[in-house]
Amino acid sequence: MAARAKFRFSKPDAGIFLAAACALGLTLAPRPASAEDDGIPRAWDGRPDFNGVWQAIGTAHWDLEDHPAVPGHPDLGAIGAVPPGQGVVVGGEIPYNDAGRAQKQRNFARRATDDPEAKCFLPGVPRATYLPYPFQIIQGDRKIMFVYGFAEANRTIHMDKETPEPPPLDSWMGRSHGRWEGDTLVVDVEGFNGEAWFDRAGNFAGPGLKVRERYAPLGRNALLYEATLEDPAVFTRPWKIRMPLYRRLEENARVLEFKCVDYAEDLVYGHLRREPTR
Amino acid sequence: MTVRYVAPILIVSVAVAAAQSPARGAEAKYHHVHVTAASPSEAVGWYAKYLDCAPVPGRNDAADCGGVELVFVSQSTMGGTQGTGVNHIAFSYADLAAKMAALEAVGVRGSGVRLQRFDDGTTLREDPGLFRHGFIFDPWGTRIELLEDGGRQGFHHVHLSAADPEAALAWYRETFGGKAGKLRGKLDGLLLGDVWLLAAQHPQGEPAPTRGRAVDHIGFALPNLSEAARKLRKRGVAFQEEPAVPDNARAAAKRAYLVGPDSVRIALVEPGFAGVEAVVEAAAAEETREPYAAPRTPWGEPDLQGVWTGNAAHGIPLERPLDLADVQALTAEQAAARRERGTLGSIWGYEREWRDTTLGYDKMIPSRQVAMIVDPPDGRLPEMTPDGRRMAAEARRARERYTRTPPAGPEDMTPYVRCITRGLPGMMMPSIYNNGLQIVQGPGHVAIQKEMIHETRVIPTEPRQPVGPKLTTWLGDPQGRWEGDTLVIETSRFNGKSSYRGSTAGMKLTERYTRVGPTKLEYRFTVDDPAVWTRPWTAGFVFDLDNDQYELVEYACHEGNYGMFNILSGARARDKEAAGAGR
Repeated sequence: MAARAKFRFSKPDAGIFLAAACALGLTLAPRPASAEDDGIPRAWDGRPDFNGVWQAIGTAHWDLEDHPAVPGHPDLGAIGAVPPGQGVVVGGEIPYNDAGRAQKQRNFARRATDDPEAKCFLPGVPRATYLPYPFQIIQGDRKIMFVYGFAEANRTIHMDKETPEPPPLDSWMGRSHGRWEGDTLVVDVEGFNGEAWFDRAGNFAGPGLKVRERYAPLGRNALLYEATLEDPAVFTRPWKIRMPLYRRLEENARVLEFKCVDYAEDLVYGHLRREPTR
Repeated sequence: MTVRYVAPILIVSVAVAAAQSPARGAEAKYHHVHVTAASPSEAVGWYAKYLDCAPVPGRNDAADCGGVELVFVSQSTMGGTQGTGVNHIAFSYADLAAKMAALEAVGVRGSGVRLQRFDDGTTLREDPGLFRHGFIFDPWGTRIELLEDGGRQGFHHVHLSAADPEAALAWYRETFGGKAGKLRGKLDGLLLGDVWLLAAQHPQGEPAPTRGRAVDHIGFALPNLSEAARKLRKRGVAFQEEPAVPDNARAAAKRAYLVGPDSVRIALVEPGFAGVEAVVEAAAAEETREPYAAPRTPWGEPDLQGVWTGNAAHGIPLERPLDLADVQALTAEQAAARRERGTLGSIWGYEREWRDTTLGYDKMIPSRQVAMIVDPPDGRLPEMTPDGRRMAAEARRARERYTRTPPAGPEDMTPYVRCITRGLPGMMMPSIYNNGLQIVQGPGHVAIQKEMIHETRVIPTEPRQPVGPKLTTWLGDPQGRWEGDTLVIETSRFNGKSSYRGSTAGMKLTERYTRVGPTKLEYRFTVDDPAVWTRPWTAGFVFDLDNDQYELVEYACHEGNYGMFNILSGARARDKEAAGAGR
């Protein structure tokens, strides 16, 4: 148990780590020569240890693309305003085809009522990653679970499937198969239902979406998140988003449940109340 | 572990009291319809309760329905009667309107009486020149016609669905005798004793085989089965099973199977045939277990990871039933019957076929555990405090309000119906479907995911600072630890909006997860809520490992909560009706 505590809580110290690993009789995976001083926490198998609470910082949840500040709902004053933000799309713009761009514009026009986030629907991938809520990674030896704060969303990354299995059914969060490429966790996600959006600006994809995510460590407390998105029905070519994710360093950091159905019932069912609210 | 698929079979044995002397062929004295049901005794009880049949003395698998014997046996099912060569069976009632009204009042919930409504919404209609009639379904997918044929009571007819009705009736007459005639001078049929065999035109193509469906076969008793079999073979009829005394037969009488027109399976039995004793597989009583050391994760913690289900435990009541006060464990038959009852009470809006084939629920041998509560030792919830009683009464009134009057909005319904949460310990309880439990561990953390409405808890196993008293949540703030191989979780700081049996925000919940065998995870929980109960109480059950074939699917509950739209729009329609009536 002491050895485990070292993995988790001590400052990176490769000497202690190696001693502990040998004591447990483990075989270490190949590691870069610089591993001793790269500051990357290591798991029992020598892979990067992503266990912990993480969060994106930025405005990608408002709009993946560059966006200026704009007013929000007048009742909320400055609180409701959309802050400006630099886009996270590599190369600047999402390569929609004509139909895709028209749909995105329709989504934007109807975002107050149609955005799945407003309705407390499952956020999908990659949106779950950069919503303004923390998420926790539980990195086991056969599965890696991502537990998101928003809408009780979660994903199981299957690390133990020799070959990817077809998704049993279409879903909001898709089916995830993962593997390690050196220190990078690569996750392929497909089997989406095409209902999820990417942000509050109405960016979206269809059910044919395939996502390849890459989680690469950037030292101890950050990682670089990259997602390649491919859906020939909506985009003219695959495209990529990229942003850092940060470890929540508060001693008491945890993912608090945000069961948001309560707050979406007016939006979804208000017209069916005895005293209609919509 | 041997996994046996236990499904109910309903055998309807139609004993014809005064069989007509057949014009040709063998002499039929008796026939039966064999319907697929999961617990024979539950099926007997259902037919006794709703269709006025009488349990046959000395047997737990047969009911006498006015001279007709229905027999039920366990086997796997492939679905209801519809689309097969047996369209329905029929019962006659002297006062059909009263009978149907009584069944309608029962409703489907908890009973398993499903009504077929005609296009105008009614359940009965007049067929000019015939009689009034309507249709219901039994819980095992058998379509049943209820009709009013004069003052007649009891079993009335078997209605075949045939590609060529005339040829089919001719075949039965040739084979079993009986009197060709027209029911009410209108419907072609064959009268065997006073029970009709009718045949309607199958809507399109060939009927599906009855074997494995809700009505598995219909049967005829022949005085001399060997002689009849010889004659049938001469006519080129091939037997599926040659005449023989079956294993576990109750009487030394022979039975044979053949396939008649329209792929209808037919049994031939000798007089005195009394069915077979069903072999119900017994789950090991939970009390007898070997000491078991949990495997370890690569980083040295007890390994609870995997996909578990509570399917076998579904149906175990929280409190020990009073009439089972001294019972250590249920018998296998009692366990099967209890689970069947639980199913009828839970999902009877759905097809049994779906339950048995899609859910895989029946693959788990039902638990024989009598009740969940292990402390107090009598298996009953402890006495409530005066405050507890007052709050329970208030909660009961609120529940009655939303179940008996149209809801004003979603808030009038439970957090579960609203897809918010099942609360704790409610979310851990076995349910009829989407019963998966996935555990994933990382060093120092255990993630517990329940499939039903997708709820995930992340449990730290190293001590951490609890949240302050203002930070309450639906599922509370958990703190875990390992006690030997057992994961212990203590949870508090609940918001109190999803009560379990009266629990409040002040509840302290202590859970214990222990692997007690390679495929068994014992779950125990203690509820300590002094505002409600005069002492803490402890309950539990066992989850079964199901890594090989079970995968949790995404239960996107709120996203697809069409039920909520339907409930609320129905409520608004009721409001309008009431306003109209008041005018």
